[in-house]
Amino acid sequence: MDRTKEATLADGTKLPYVVKRNPPRGGMKYTYFSPDKSYVVQFFNRPEMGRDPNLRRRLEAIIGKYNPTLSEEKGGARGNSEAMAAYFSGKFCWPKAIVTKPEFGIVCPAYPSNYFFSDDVSILPQLSSELKGKDKKSKWFTSAKLRRYMREEELGDFRSMVQMSISLARAIRRMHQAGLAHSDLSCNNVLVDPITGSCVVIDIDSLVVPGVYPPEVIGTNGYIAPEVLESMSLPFGDAKRSLPCAYTDLHALAVLIYEYLMLRHPLRGPKCYSNDPSEDDYLSMGPKALFVENPKDRSNRPGDLGVTIYDHGPELAKLFLRAFVDGLHNPGERPAAMEWEKALVKTWDLLHPCENPDCAARWFVLYDMKKPACPFCGHKVSPDNLVRLRLKSQARGRSGQWVDAGQVNVYHNMPLFKWHVFSRCFPDEKTDRGMMAYVCKHQGQWLMVNHNIQGMTSPGGSLVPVGRAVLLRDGAVFRASTEERGLLIEVVCGKG
Amino acid sequence: MTDFIRRLPVYLLLDCSGSMMGEPIEAVRQGVKALLSELRGDPQALETAYLSVITFDSKARQITPLTELMQFKEPQLNAGGATALGGALHVLMDCVDSEVRKSTQTQKGDWRPLVFILTDGSPTDIEAFQQAAQKIKGMKTANIIACAAGSNADTSYLKQITENVLMMNTLSAGDMAQFFAWVSGSIKMSSKSVDAKPGEAIELPPPPQGFVVVP
Repeated sequence: MDRTKEATLADGTKLPYVVKRNPPRGGMKYTYFSPDKSYVVQFFNRPEMGRDPNLRRRLEAIIGKYNPTLSEEKGGARGNSEAMAAYFSGKFCWPKAIVTKPEFGIVCPAYPSNYFFSDDVSILPQLSSELKGKDKKSKWFTSAKLRRYMREEELGDFRSMVQMSISLARAIRRMHQAGLAHSDLSCNNVLVDPITGSCVVIDIDSLVVPGVYPPEVIGTNGYIAPEVLESMSLPFGDAKRSLPCAYTDLHALAVLIYEYLMLRHPLRGPKCYSNDPSEDDYLSMGPKALFVENPKDRSNRPGDLGVTIYDHGPELAKLFLRAFVDGLHNPGERPAAMEWEKALVKTWDLLHPCENPDCAARWFVLYDMKKPACPFCGHKVSPDNLVRLRLKSQARGRSGQWVDAGQVNVYHNMPLFKWHVFSRCFPDEKTDRGMMAYVCKHQGQWLMVNHNIQGMTSPGGSLVPVGRAVLLRDGAVFRASTEERGLLIEVVCGKG
Repeated sequence: MTDFIRRLPVYLLLDCSGSMMGEPIEAVRQGVKALLSELRGDPQALETAYLSVITFDSKARQITPLTELMQFKEPQLNAGGATALGGALHVLMDCVDSEVRKSTQTQKGDWRPLVFILTDGSPTDIEAFQQAAQKIKGMKTANIIACAAGSNADTSYLKQITENVLMMNTLSAGDMAQFFAWVSGSIKMSSKSVDAKPGEAIELPPPPQGFVVVP
């Protein structure tokens, strides 16, 4: 029989929660839901952890002055506005309060419903019934074996995987910006929804907080940075022991992004290091770790690799090489979360829909206009669908001089945003996400329709008011906006 | 692309002797069902774990060969006869030998198998048992966990097979359910654990309440 109990918070507030037999249990904590399922109350598997003053101090800091999901006004992170707090509330499942009675614990918001499996998600009825109501861990969508069990609609497509990657990179960037590190990023601690391309970072309670004694976690197999694995047998206080920190998060982040985009693990290849499986695993994730796509040492490269990092454009390829070649055993070389966020956003603008109706990836990165083929299915883009906008911004202090500010591949019904119209504008938590214009194909011609831009002009220089369009012809040049920081757009069309 | 995911072979050695008749064997059936359901819902377990069932009464036999979880069919379990635990261990050794992939210079083998033994008595095939126990204890290729169920189970025999011996007091449905929940917890943990220090004892979740670890 379930019964309702009351948790007392640090400020004396009382919150009800429903006690169940065999509550969901993780490595550290177990979870009870509130009667309305809007929040959860979590207690530690080892109750004595609650008496650890370091854990308390860490949690107080996480819930208060380091909290990006709470505005500064309400006691959250410095400089955090209400809008930014609301934005990050969707990216993290951040603890809200400390429970003091009946024992030490925390209150967290419940995950939004799209992170739980609904009915009929698998092609196997048995598995559908097992999964119903379970949280969507990313392994269900990145493991080749498990993907085969899932319905196609559940798997999303390449574009939603890029979107999830942006969301994750942004969340980790925000954390690192505050000096925090997650310390246990893994496929289990990031829930994903490939249908909407969103993700949420969970298990925020073992964060590394500046100035507070670090948590004694190591991480999850497959996501632990090689230096942590190599030194884990040393005692906790040993100077040579590498502990989880922002650099180790950057290894896990790169692994997760690689898994989302490539649907395989970056270090699990055919190379054998030992006849003993544990020894082999330790060496292949730790001291001897070798990227399956290492361009110089191909000894861990599967014979049938398929799509490679180079298929997703030079921006991402460069970062993957830094993460898994230069930075694999050299933490300082790993790309920062901000770099991932920027490269992924640039990549997003180069996405192109695959015209092959049977292509499972549905989208791909079209970076080379001379080789416009989908790397997943090999289908070629028809030349009249190859239209690219080159964005140029005015060089500071030198009027009339324009420098490259990005490029966008267009497709039918593609929205354009503020960052496609103005320079020095980045699609982050501070930016307005209202549509400014859109591109459509009308009677065989490509048009950019002004939706909400002041001062958009035609190639001839006349004003294009809201509701009117510019014809996107090869070589056409026009101002996206003549207002301050307005970009110049040059149209490049594919040749047959 | 070829998967380079290591399999985690799991062997259940289930006592189906006469003393298990009635409620106990029904509890084991329910336990296997629950175990399967738990493991299928866990992505790491479903990705890596493979399950086999070996039963023993007067004879021992592998009733389900090592099978991927989604293909696994619940075995027919019937109680009756003696307790050929020795025979079961011989069957286990043969199965591990033929089913578990060995690592070589060019091929990634399986994880070291996890073996769970559940018995409510003591072996009736002493000679075969002693022979098998000697071989198995020296065999570093499997992690064996033995559970003695009920007051008639003799842990001293199990101690000859493995250091990891658990004792549960009764053969009640409740205790049995807890045992299988613990087994699924152990498998889940093994499927994601950091086996980072090669050669060390495996980490298992704390045994359920009321269960005693036999020193």
